[in-house]
Amino acid sequence: MLFGRFARQAIGSWKTLLSLRPRDVVHFCRVHRRSIGYWSLQTINFACFLHLFGEHVATLSYVEGPSMMPTMSMNGELTLELKRINPAELKRGDLVTYISPLDPTRRVCKRVTGLPGDVVCVDPTGQYAPSTEHVVIPRNHLWVTGDNLPYSRDSRMYGPVPFGLVKGKLYARVLPWRDRGVFRNTFEYID
Amino acid sequence: MKLLRGVRSAYASCRAFVQKRPAVKFTLSALVWLPLASAVIEYGVSVKTVRGRSMQPTLNPDDSLWKDIVLFDTFAIKFRHDYKRGDIVALKSPVDSKLIVKRIIALEGDTVKTLPPYPDAEVCVPPGHAWVEGDEPFRTEDSNRFGPVPLGLIESRLAYILWPWDRIGPLGKPLIPRHDAVVGSPDWRRSKAELEREKRRQSRVTIADSSSS
Repeated sequence: MLFGRFARQAIGSWKTLLSLRPRDVVHFCRVHRRSIGYWSLQTINFACFLHLFGEHVATLSYVEGPSMMPTMSMNGELTLELKRINPAELKRGDLVTYISPLDPTRRVCKRVTGLPGDVVCVDPTGQYAPSTEHVVIPRNHLWVTGDNLPYSRDSRMYGPVPFGLVKGKLYARVLPWRDRGVFRNTFEYID
Repeated sequence: MKLLRGVRSAYASCRAFVQKRPAVKFTLSALVWLPLASAVIEYGVSVKTVRGRSMQPTLNPDDSLWKDIVLFDTFAIKFRHDYKRGDIVALKSPVDSKLIVKRIIALEGDTVKTLPPYPDAEVCVPPGHAWVEGDEPFRTEDSNRFGPVPLGLIESRLAYILWPWDRIGPLGKPLIPRHDAVVGSPDWRRSKAELEREKRRQSRVTIADSSSS
């Protein structure tokens, strides 16, 4: 608001913005030397606020790749991701995002299939391990798999994922707009 | 319209309330800068106190009266992804997600000779993982107990010791017996022991050629 007022004082109306010369910019900076520093710091501060909000509360994130094929299309989808989660309260069937144990610069999205203490079959498809092998998931770890088993690198390859790597949980799909909606838990329990 | 007027009057009364009280005004104007400060703490540098004995004698040695206050550098880890063997780092424990301070012994591809609680005698660190250990092998819960940890768990690197005044300074690679120390003095013995430990650590690790790039 205040910055807008300064700008209008300096350049008169928005039409003169089209014929802005470098000299005018220099003049504007010279006149408002003090407040420019202050307001750029305010802008940085606001950017920090937005970033921290996106890191700790909720953010829109883009998911792509073949590993979650029936749930997420390969071309990419925009989803609402919740960041304020407690990994201990996740349920089987939730979609989580975590830092890949293979590469710390990558974030991946998979489905939780085992909680601490569960016994899981390492690989029912027999791709990474014989299909008879079973493991107990240790404390403070999750077992995660992609929905598209042949094209997914997940716990079958690198084992259980520690809670410390879990960053968020996908809550709803935003784009494509006609498929919008909250992700439903697809797990059915058989007695 | 009525609602708008209500909001406006509420805003005006709040403003009047703040303007009348300098203490409240000062607090609010300081709070505005909170995001910037917390971003610096989260992505730049942060000051923390180290508890526990697992990093003795590098941190919290027995003859120290205070707990060590240290400066952690998050920028090097989160932006530059600069993981080096021998660095002391803070990481989230895979066992209970608490922040622990350990030393990186080996990175991906390296072969480490393990210490007792670990089932195998030798282990090759898988890609994207690191082998972390405390400096005090008897009082630490480290990779010898829970295996190699993913690099994503590592949060920050210890850059500087701030408090016990006699050990103030950056944590680089001193590790050479100090030339100004008198032979046989406590200082000399300490640096000699440090060098010895570093040698023992390095003798247990076979560094992979390809990961040096």
